[in-house]
Amino acid sequence: MRLTNETKIFIGIIVVTLIIVGLGVFLFSRPEQILSKEDLLPAGTITKGLVSSKVYLVEFSDFQCPACKSFKPIVDEITSTYKDKLYFGYRHFPLTQHPFAQKSAEAAEAANEQGKFWQMYDYLFAKQDDLSDAVIDGGVKELGLDTAKFQADMKSDKVKNKIEKDLADGNKFGISATPTFFLNGKKLNLDQLSDLKTAVEKAIQQPL
Amino acid sequence: MKDKSNSLLKLNRIIFVLAIIGLIIAVYVLQGFLRQAPIVCINTGCEQVRKSASSYIFGIPVPAFGLVGYSLITILAFLRTFSTGKSLLYAILGIASFGFLFVGWFTYTEIFVINATCTWCAISAVIMTVIFILSVKSYMLLKK
Repeated sequence: MRLTNETKIFIGIIVVTLIIVGLGVFLFSRPEQILSKEDLLPAGTITKGLVSSKVYLVEFSDFQCPACKSFKPIVDEITSTYKDKLYFGYRHFPLTQHPFAQKSAEAAEAANEQGKFWQMYDYLFAKQDDLSDAVIDGGVKELGLDTAKFQADMKSDKVKNKIEKDLADGNKFGISATPTFFLNGKKLNLDQLSDLKTAVEKAIQQPL
Repeated sequence: MKDKSNSLLKLNRIIFVLAIIGLIIAVYVLQGFLRQAPIVCINTGCEQVRKSASSYIFGIPVPAFGLVGYSLITILAFLRTFSTGKSLLYAILGIASFGFLFVGWFTYTEIFVINATCTWCAISAVIMTVIFILSVKSYMLLKK
């Protein structure tokens, strides 16, 4: 059977497609890399729990992301239940589609400068539906922060650079959505909220 | 006459390429459904759509329908390269018409029932709509 030119073109298209798809699958199915603790928890990262725990969990989160809010009670629960067995780090990944995300991250960092990160973290997630400037100012009052220092810190290079570093690291680690959790350096694929607790408990129970 | 067959040829090429793209999307999304693995998405809707009961018809995941539809269109468009019979085009038109109604229905379901849209489904809906328009165009050319 002689092939028509048109048939040859179509076969060509199929071959090219197969090559592209094959390459794509190859590139995306590379084994998961395990990130180092130094990369995931650089100096200055906001943390909770026992530093020397064998299990560490790092979250990349965005105060305006609804899924992050859904995970918050779980994170709070495991970090308090296992406060002597788990080291938890919070890193910023403000998404551009959330107009208040960057500002909220700055507010949390500015609160951190006054030792009240976790209080601000609770406050921001509680007020997620409306994170306007007025609401953030309300938080400053509620937490009894020094307003002048807070405002200055929010604009400071230190705070901006830190959030930028978190974002850059997140992109480097291949984060595409928030929240993304890394348990002992390994990115977790969570289908439902309870999976996080299960994964952490499993890691804690595993012998060294 | 030559112009007509040239146009038909071109239309068939476009349909073929679009069907292959649709096929790849369907395979990718379907594996996400079957392995219960997250689907990489530009917005956040894919996961919501994937986990919704409305994304299954009689227990069959929606992307499986896309997979079958796009596969058939790909095969038929390929067969048209060595057969000028009209029945192949009619078959494509039939599948594309069903596909068009199907993506229309599913887009409606996404927006009003699931309350989330998934980028891949939207791309697939556009592809199926274009295939439908092109096959109608081919049909009209052929009838002239």
